[in-house]
Amino acid sequence: MYGKIKKRSGIVRIAFLLMILLLLTGCWNNRDLTEINIVAGIGLDRTEDGKVLLTVQVVEPAAIQTVSSGKGKGGGAQPKPVFVESFEGETVFEAIRGILSIVDKRLFFSTAQVLILGERLLQKGMVEVLDFFQRENDINYGMNILVAKGVTPGEILEIENDMDSIPAVYIKETAENTVSRGTVKKTTLIDLIKDIDSGERQPAIGQITKAGDKEIRTEGVAVIKDEKLAGWLDPYETRGYMFAIGEVKSAIVNIPVDKGKIAMEIIRSKGKAKVRFENGEPSTLTIKVEVEANVGAYEGRGRLDSQDDLSILKEILKNEIKKEITQALEKAQKEYSSDIFGFGSYVHKYHPEYWKKVKKDWNDIFSKLPADIQVDVKVMRTGIIKSPVKKDE
Amino acid sequence: MGKVRISSIQLFLLLSGFLFGSTVILAPAKGAKNDAWLAILIGGACGVLLMGVYAAIALLNPSKTLVDILEEKLGKVAGTIVAILYVWYFIHLASLVFRDFGEFICSVTFPEMPMVVVIGLFAAVLLYAVNSGIEVVGRLSELLVPLIPVIMLIISLSLFTVHDFTAFLPILENGITPVLKTALSFITFPFGETVAFLMLFPHLNQKEKLKNVVLISAIVSTLMQVLIFFRDISVLGSGLMDRATFIPHLTSLIIPEFNIEPLVDINLLIGGGIKISVCLYAASRALCQIAGINDYRNLTGAISTFCVVLSIWVHESVLDLFSWTEKVWSYYSLPFQVFVPLLLLLLSLKKSKPSNAGTANEK
Repeated sequence: MYGKIKKRSGIVRIAFLLMILLLLTGCWNNRDLTEINIVAGIGLDRTEDGKVLLTVQVVEPAAIQTVSSGKGKGGGAQPKPVFVESFEGETVFEAIRGILSIVDKRLFFSTAQVLILGERLLQKGMVEVLDFFQRENDINYGMNILVAKGVTPGEILEIENDMDSIPAVYIKETAENTVSRGTVKKTTLIDLIKDIDSGERQPAIGQITKAGDKEIRTEGVAVIKDEKLAGWLDPYETRGYMFAIGEVKSAIVNIPVDKGKIAMEIIRSKGKAKVRFENGEPSTLTIKVEVEANVGAYEGRGRLDSQDDLSILKEILKNEIKKEITQALEKAQKEYSSDIFGFGSYVHKYHPEYWKKVKKDWNDIFSKLPADIQVDVKVMRTGIIKSPVKKDE
Repeated sequence: MGKVRISSIQLFLLLSGFLFGSTVILAPAKGAKNDAWLAILIGGACGVLLMGVYAAIALLNPSKTLVDILEEKLGKVAGTIVAILYVWYFIHLASLVFRDFGEFICSVTFPEMPMVVVIGLFAAVLLYAVNSGIEVVGRLSELLVPLIPVIMLIISLSLFTVHDFTAFLPILENGITPVLKTALSFITFPFGETVAFLMLFPHLNQKEKLKNVVLISAIVSTLMQVLIFFRDISVLGSGLMDRATFIPHLTSLIIPEFNIEPLVDINLLIGGGIKISVCLYAASRALCQIAGINDYRNLTGAISTFCVVLSIWVHESVLDLFSWTEKVWSYYSLPFQVFVPLLLLLLSLKKSKPSNAGTANEK
């Protein structure tokens, strides 16, 4: 009896080990690197008859290797490191599957660095096309979203240059540089979805344009209202906007002084947008910004060796930043009537009863409210030297 | 069978793993949206009490399993019928967790893998664990359950830069009713489901620690749930949280620069695995006692096969599964989790008062 059980459990054990063999082959739908097309950038636009126009930039890993190792040896014809293809479809997903009729291998989207939206797409609303990117399981929620101004996303993705063998990476890095300068906003997919979802803040998406044949430029933002493109902010207004929402990481602000100009380097900045309430109604929009800056360059003649000198600079810088914020706010209020600053979010959080009533008309109410902008500047250091070179007058 | 012993630390980890169970992917209090933390706290407080009831039943009826207690208190016939219903309940619970697991893996990790394969392979592993004995499951929990908080910590810390700490405001925007409703469902899932442990409590080697073990594990898991909620809402915002199928998984997708989403799968494997093992063990153990079979291992194979089939057959789609769990499950569970245990507690108190009063005072 006992022996029988032992024998049986031996068979069970062997059967179990054999089952493990099945698992060792790997994942069910295992695809090797050679069987997929690695997508680096995605472009979305609409055609004139309202169809979705998908453009993908696909990386050829093998070609990148030959490009980098072939450098300097003057090797003959190089295979291109990327290729760009476009396809039309009624829906985004249809276009993504349909593109396989002109592309050899299945597209792999986890690696996508940028999603570029076209102007025509934004004129009709973008929420519909974004659904696929939320639902699909291999989409990177952190990918950058940019809006192409004056060009189609396809044209942007087709730009090739020598700085980076993958243009999408070049676009992403450039956008990130500009973010730290404060003149473009970095909008990731998750940020955009959160903004659209909450309805408390209108999205503002970084802008990308073509600068010459081989370069792109990311500066300014696209202002969205009710899921459609309302207009653009120029780089200075964008910086004002970024100051207000506290996303300037380092920026150069030029301030005029008596004899020349000073480039102030912003080291840190914090910004907060709130709404002041009186008797249950909003009375003022308040923006409070705290900035820490250093003197970056003094291009002119003057003295800079006492606290009094710095205090004067502080005052000028303060007004300069205030001016930028005011410009941005006025444009958002008067021209676009779109609350990109997220005042609505503050109202929703701290005055939920009032928010319930005005939720739908918030952008109109926002446009009519007066603003109180406070900027608090600290100038800490002047760098290696204090005063600039003295010149006889 | 009487010799099977698990230590108090093993029971603590088993309970915690069980409580995490599929909550690691489902965020049970999502019905209350921004106020879910409130629902979790209220539900957690009641859940602690409810688990206290189970512990009290076990303490008043030392070394007796749920089936013994039922037969003793309700009489042979009624007790057996209720016990059979409990067996069904444990099987159903196990199959629901199987289905959660299968839906999760098929939605996010292996979209093209047939669900029956996912669930079947998982079931084979768990069957092996349960057949090795509840001690082995206990030791496994010692090995694996501590990973759950570590993984959660990793995910939370990597998300520190993308937090919006005021995202849970405003408080009580939609009134208190949805909060209370959610709190109720949070009591039944996961706390009330620990009723399955009434089949395990007799194995605890230090009976005097039972109460503490139960209380601490319930409190720890409530606090963890609150933390997870705050993490999720500050990362996703309430809108996306409402729309997400598997909230904690989506949260882990947001982590900038690197991808540790499989860690959520691991958490689910551990938590769900322990939950299913306990349910399988409880169901087969109970059925053995009812039918008078010596070794519960004779039934585990059949029961787990049944669970796998049931899990695939019972719901048509993932949305069906969720809406059913949200709307029906808590009411369906009430008799098993609240009414019968309360009745048993009352009956136990009544019976034990005259004889146990002296010993209770000594303690």
